[in-house]
Amino acid sequence: MLRLKGIAKSFPGVRALNDVNLDVRPGEIHGLLGENGAGKSTLIKIIAGAYAPDQGEILFEDTAVRWSSPREAKQRGIHVVYQEFVLFPQLSITENIFVGHERRTRIGTVDHARMRREARELLERLGVSIDPSVSAGSLSIADQQMVEIARAMVRQVKLLVLDEPTAVIAGREVKLLFDRLRRLRAEGVSIIFISHRLEEVFALCDRVTVLKDGELIATTDVANVTRERLISMMVGRELGDLFPPKRTAPPAMTPVLRTEALSVDNRVRDVSIALRPGEIVALAGMVGAGRSELAHGLFGVLPISGGAFYLEGRRFTSMSPAKAIKLGMGLVPEDRKSQGLAMQLDVAANITGPALHEVTRRLLIDTESEASIARHEISRYRIACRGPQTPVATMSGGNQQKVLVARWARICRTVLIVDEPTRGVDVGAKAEIYRILRDLSEQGLAILMISSELTEVVGMADRVIVMREGQVTGELAGTEATEQNIMNLATIERAAGHA
Amino acid sequence: MTDAVTQTAEAAARLGPLPRLRSSVSRFGIFMLLPALVLLGGAISSTFLSAGNISNLLLQLAPLGIVAIGQAFVMIVRGLDLSVASTMATAAVIATGFSGSNRDVAMITVVVLATSVAVGLLNGVLVAKRQVSPFLATLATMILLQGFRFAYTQGAPSGNVPPLFRVLGSEKFYGIPYDFAILLVLAVIFWIVLHRSAFGRRVFIVGGNPVTGRMLGIRTDVITIACYLISSCLAGAAGLILSGYVGLVDNWVGQGYELDSIVACVIGGVSLKGGRGSIPGALAGAAIIMVAANEVLLFGLPIQIQIIIKGVVIVLAAALYAR
Amino acid sequence: MTGSLAAVRWFRAHDSLVGVTLLIAAVCILGAGTADRFFSFNNMVNVYEQSTDLALVSIGQTLAILTGGIDLSVGSLISLTSCLTSGLIDGDPSRVAPVLVAVLALGVLIGLVNAALVIGLRVHPLIVTLGMSAILQGVTLFYAMGPVGKVPRDFSFLAYGRVGGFPLGATIAVMLCIIVALLLRYLPLGRQIYAVGDDDNAARLAGLPRSRVLMLVYGCSGFCCAATGLYLAARFGSGQPYTGVNYTLASITPVILGGTVLRGGRGGVVGTLLGAFLISLVNNLLNFMDVSKQYQLVAQALIIILAVSVYMHRREPT
Repeated sequence: MLRLKGIAKSFPGVRALNDVNLDVRPGEIHGLLGENGAGKSTLIKIIAGAYAPDQGEILFEDTAVRWSSPREAKQRGIHVVYQEFVLFPQLSITENIFVGHERRTRIGTVDHARMRREARELLERLGVSIDPSVSAGSLSIADQQMVEIARAMVRQVKLLVLDEPTAVIAGREVKLLFDRLRRLRAEGVSIIFISHRLEEVFALCDRVTVLKDGELIATTDVANVTRERLISMMVGRELGDLFPPKRTAPPAMTPVLRTEALSVDNRVRDVSIALRPGEIVALAGMVGAGRSELAHGLFGVLPISGGAFYLEGRRFTSMSPAKAIKLGMGLVPEDRKSQGLAMQLDVAANITGPALHEVTRRLLIDTESEASIARHEISRYRIACRGPQTPVATMSGGNQQKVLVARWARICRTVLIVDEPTRGVDVGAKAEIYRILRDLSEQGLAILMISSELTEVVGMADRVIVMREGQVTGELAGTEATEQNIMNLATIERAAGHA
Repeated sequence: MTDAVTQTAEAAARLGPLPRLRSSVSRFGIFMLLPALVLLGGAISSTFLSAGNISNLLLQLAPLGIVAIGQAFVMIVRGLDLSVASTMATAAVIATGFSGSNRDVAMITVVVLATSVAVGLLNGVLVAKRQVSPFLATLATMILLQGFRFAYTQGAPSGNVPPLFRVLGSEKFYGIPYDFAILLVLAVIFWIVLHRSAFGRRVFIVGGNPVTGRMLGIRTDVITIACYLISSCLAGAAGLILSGYVGLVDNWVGQGYELDSIVACVIGGVSLKGGRGSIPGALAGAAIIMVAANEVLLFGLPIQIQIIIKGVVIVLAAALYAR
Repeated sequence: MTGSLAAVRWFRAHDSLVGVTLLIAAVCILGAGTADRFFSFNNMVNVYEQSTDLALVSIGQTLAILTGGIDLSVGSLISLTSCLTSGLIDGDPSRVAPVLVAVLALGVLIGLVNAALVIGLRVHPLIVTLGMSAILQGVTLFYAMGPVGKVPRDFSFLAYGRVGGFPLGATIAVMLCIIVALLLRYLPLGRQIYAVGDDDNAARLAGLPRSRVLMLVYGCSGFCCAATGLYLAARFGSGQPYTGVNYTLASITPVILGGTVLRGGRGGVVGTLLGAFLISLVNNLLNFMDVSKQYQLVAQALIIILAVSVYMHRREPT
């Protein structure tokens, strides 16, 4: 169906792809693996027509093609579901699904009623029960992902590319997605599936291709390869344990943070948890369970609608980010590009962000001391960049995340909240971030780690608190904290009726 | 997948035609175009490079440059200030509203300052606290001031500008216009404020992404309001200077300056989307507009062509430089 | 779904239309209480008529703003078309029809040029249309430095005539609004206007024909400007080179009042029409109350501020 030969692509200063070959057969689910920066997304954008390759040729359905725009590729039957959603926030779900492919009546006008009907049916089949006339911007991330997938389903696709489709969905929705994908495969559609979760690759894919540093490492049948072999192909070395050893000594007895029937913005209700210094507590649950909202409530971004929390013994019923920072709290948000980093600034500015007063002398910024602080953190966390003046926009996801961690680790005294600390981060950087978090906890910080990756939760946490629909469903520690138990608590059906 | 490659690529893709030319030109090209224009002027007209013409140019550049500084602050914080021209005109009307002698200079300055502060506060509060779009808020303020101005002057303004302002607005010392000196002083001060102070850093952060700003503990509303205050106060000052240049009172002093200052900023690299820009860039943009207008005047071209050329320059410069 | 739930949903989705209507009602009530003959049928028809020019140009502006852009060249284009109309016809009734067609075509053409510059040079529409505004103004001044030409009586009928008791010009504006509203709702390209306005980058990745969308939008805006120019020529008897100057910024207010957000992606022309009517209504009321022209400006600005800060502040996405 699709054959790429000798594809090369460079951007100013970066060589993204070098002599890459890819071969996707009709009726095949082909996995694409590789660390961040390996060139996967560049390759996809070339397939989609968003970029043109510098060298090499593309053969689609056995004819050489040269896309001039994504539009052309789409018209030929290629559809890509990107990892960063490209939904239209103000448009309704129906319109998002059908934009560009509006259903027409016999006289050629847009048939709104038919689109509404089809959208509703499609969403039901994907397991999403949402009114399709709602605007897409108001949806949870998981639902947005499903809308993106629904969009792919209404096109006449010959080649479907899915970039990390399961990053934000789990359980039932993943199962339904996989069923649909298998059905498409049976119809002869080719599917390229990208995921960091190797268990999914093994469950779904027929063959898999591994990229590393812009080069093709191997293409092999899934049946003929092991998990360890795949990891070593991706990383190029044998990785030791991904997770650092957990703490052996018991933590201090007095909690540094304790919530008392805390409700946040009417989305989190009646939460009572405690964090002790030196602990890493994971907050697990499905996307949409209210975990980030709880964090935002503690940090003062969202309003507290009920209850209170105690930090170092002081009682609070309201909070603001400025106050939280003064109290020694820190928050590494879920979306580093749109919430965490000042994307147009450099490393130094991002590191000193919340602590500007430290480098301000007589209202002016002391660039020297700011740069030296930055250099210190760069070497401490092994951040890969040219120096303190490197614009963060040019750095890889893993290094950007390190900048954020460095920013808060410097000034946090009490609680550090990290929300999806390794999302979109390559394996190598993941290990480093885990080490950093464990070191910080050993120095006395209490760390609240929100994560949807169960392996990460089990691997890192001393204790696991599970949430669902805005409330805590349970707490697990020690040997009880297995992936299965966590999943159970995360998907528990409540006795009271659903909305 | 948000890796370095993707972002560089997306930035490259967004640049449009002539990408390599644009990316190298974009950062520093603005400072290449200006000398090029100057050389062109000198080549074509012998009077262009004369001391007299240059100092006249600087004289006329000052009010626009001052307004452009303020506009740059507002644009960087993701806003727009359409009320500057109206503020300038109001300042001019106030300048002529007293006895016309130097006794009232202090009084005039105080009243203009108070008015500018009020305007800036109104703009800032509407935008920051009521989430009104800057375009609309400052448009409304502009009309509001216009109304008050007309009501006050009954459509027939009268009075004299105090001699001090006349000197500042139209005289020179050793060939350097006073108002250009004022511009330089203000430019240096506000360059320091924007690019070296903690406040300026916060302006960039908030303008780049208000959500990030909040999460860093920055009072985004205070920063926004402060920028609008800067813009309207600078506009007030520019209005006083321009009234000194014009000499007689006029309800329409500064007309067109709001759009001209926005164009100057855009040409100078201040992004309409916020979070990016510089004071030198804004001033270079203002200079380009003025130099181009001056050259066209010197060519002796009819007014129609002058206006057309202005339009063409705007579009071309933005095509090459705007981000 | 129960009927009341659907009704609530409809109100929520069209909250700006409801808001404008309520404002109109409020002004009417205020006016009826303050001055008799304000709320009379004749006066309302008067207001309807007075809003024609603003309505015509604002309909085109709505489309430009819906795509997240703006058209600042409307004022100069109105000046140009109005001068060309009266200048070319110059009193000769046989020339009316061809000039009409030519001027409307010219409007569309200039709109297409705007779109081409935005697409080809990748410059923000604000800058492109601003530059075009200067260029058009210069061209207009080439053609005429003062009032030019005259129009025959038949042509003036466009502005002053009545059809079934209602002013012809205003009725044409309403019909234009309806046509555009239908285009927006039932033409696939029309739906895509909202998508492009909502997120331009997403539209590009989704493979939407951005170029065609922008051409449609700015072409229509140019058409509306030409229509406004024709109307003004009919109304004043001759074209003036600076006649359009105030319309540029004035055309934006009805669009915003009518619920279209400046960022693009949400809104519509029906609200704009109501917005134009509201402004005309307020002006009319102030005239009745014998408020001097100067304070009328103040009042207009206050209304804008009031409207936006009360019912609009939720709508602009932060």
